[in-house]
Amino acid sequence: MRLRKQRLRIFLAALAISGVVSLLNVCQLPGLRASSAEAATLTTDDLKNVSGPKTTDIAVKGDPGAELTGTVNDVTVADSKQGLTLADLANQAGQNKIAINFVWTLVTGFLVMFMQAGFALVETGLIRAKNANHTMMMNFMVYGLGLFAYWVCGFAIQMGGCAPIANLGGVYPLNGEFALTLFGKPWALFGTKGFFLSGATYDVGIMVLFLFQMVFMDTTTTIVTGSCAERWKYSAFCVSTIGLGALIYPLFGNWAWGGGWLSQLGANFGLGHGYCDFAGSGVVHAVGGITALAVAMQLGPRIGKYNRDGSPNAIPGHDLVFVLTGCFILAFGWFGFNPGSTLGASGNGCLRIGSIATNTMLAGCTGSFAALLYMWIRYGKPDASMAGNGLLAGLVAITAPSGFVATLGAAIIGFVAGILVCLGVEFFDRVARIDDPVGAMSVHGINGLWGVLSVGLFADGRSNYGGSWNGVSGAVTGLFYGDAGQLVAQLIGIATLLGAIFTLSYVWNWLVDVFVGQRVSAKVELAGLDIPEMGALCYPDFQLKTSDYSASSSATLQAVVK
Amino acid sequence: MRLLGVACTVGGWLLAVAGLLISSSVLVRGLFAVIGIAVCLYGSLGALNGYYLERAIWKK
Repeated sequence: MRLRKQRLRIFLAALAISGVVSLLNVCQLPGLRASSAEAATLTTDDLKNVSGPKTTDIAVKGDPGAELTGTVNDVTVADSKQGLTLADLANQAGQNKIAINFVWTLVTGFLVMFMQAGFALVETGLIRAKNANHTMMMNFMVYGLGLFAYWVCGFAIQMGGCAPIANLGGVYPLNGEFALTLFGKPWALFGTKGFFLSGATYDVGIMVLFLFQMVFMDTTTTIVTGSCAERWKYSAFCVSTIGLGALIYPLFGNWAWGGGWLSQLGANFGLGHGYCDFAGSGVVHAVGGITALAVAMQLGPRIGKYNRDGSPNAIPGHDLVFVLTGCFILAFGWFGFNPGSTLGASGNGCLRIGSIATNTMLAGCTGSFAALLYMWIRYGKPDASMAGNGLLAGLVAITAPSGFVATLGAAIIGFVAGILVCLGVEFFDRVARIDDPVGAMSVHGINGLWGVLSVGLFADGRSNYGGSWNGVSGAVTGLFYGDAGQLVAQLIGIATLLGAIFTLSYVWNWLVDVFVGQRVSAKVELAGLDIPEMGALCYPDFQLKTSDYSASSSATLQAVVK
Repeated sequence: MRLLGVACTVGGWLLAVAGLLISSSVLVRGLFAVIGIAVCLYGSLGALNGYYLERAIWKK
């Protein structure tokens, strides 16, 4: 019996060795031959002998087997008299790389644009039917208002000094960054090229970058509309959104992505690779969540949300189908958000898009699962809206680390996010008493910050995007993999979001309150914002409830109306 | 109260950034950043939100 086993082992070992040897014969030896001097002496003269299929043949037979399309015939020749040269081939290869990256970045940008529909559905589903037109119209118009503000000056402030970006052909005209030198160090503050996308910035690579960055900015502006729903004056919303798209978002975007001072914390102060935010947990989501906090605080809670003793009342939304459909659309769009942030699918480690997409999917799932579990254990039922918010929380949290972490890290980050969103909603509802009808401050604010922090913890040092990140060579590595400096860079990013960005948002919206007025009157709020603010009901054929506040808060209500 | 809140929020951020200039030790810089974050949170969620809670419509 023992002898038989030994024979079997010897046989298997021999089989394995012969397999490896034959594999080497097939793969490695031709490779070795190719790397010999013979291949290195390829000249333009050799290309003279290369011929493609005859076009007359294709004209007669077509190409059903896809063997005659995409050949040497399709390589662009600079000089037809000279024929195909090595320079033509090299140029074609370069253009193919940039073309792949352009198409990748544009298509993922289109996916992110479609997330606006997801946000609109989630937010509208979570508010009362009497305000549906108003909420839908806020989500609709952030697209236009934000785009206008970003085109005028937002993009220039954010990306005006970001060049070069190799994946998009360099975007070299974006080479102006205003920086102060303080305490012997440069502090880059904002870009100066690209206002109205005019002059030298009328460039194909810059247009691709603009489109991609614009839809990110629009995501930020749409976060605020959820927290301020059911009581925000539409005119105030318009002015507030323009300020966010023109100045507040671009400023932090520059500091993190446009070559600004946060991104240079590694190069200038030796803190890891500087502030790292792969796809925008901080830049997009935390900026949106923190601005939502600043505005919601000033607006105050909806009438009927709190009783005289400060205890909260639940104000349920009107359509859970909207909410969960919106969550699915957002999860779909997130595959543009995170993998698209490589700004390419070819070159500089861009093939990591596979890992980024998987991380995104995993974190969303664990976030949803964690929130479901939390609500089921704590309240006895698997809450649908919180399961949806858990999915979004996981996606928000993985946005910054998606390019730097392994799948286990992604799963943990998502799971923690799912718990955090539930705790956040309870905190804002019961402790801080800041009314947030859709939970955006918890989903995007708290989990945006958690995502930023998690880069400093879970980045595994295995990613390689062209050999460096933020001008520091090597891969981004978090505390758990040996670099405490990266964690500190992330903490300074969080302090900047909570300190500088919150203050900017607060002051800007305080000015809006002074000059425009942020909140609708109590009478309008009770009637529903659709008719007084928008002039039309969202559901004209339905019987709407317009005084759905609890009996315990009726005294408060009467006092407010008076 | 409102001014105190805004001052604390900005002050917390400046504290975190000041840590970069005060020391080259990662630990000290980290400590400054954490204290800065705490001060920011006090400013926004403590002082500033306290101002608005004092005037909340449900207290009238």
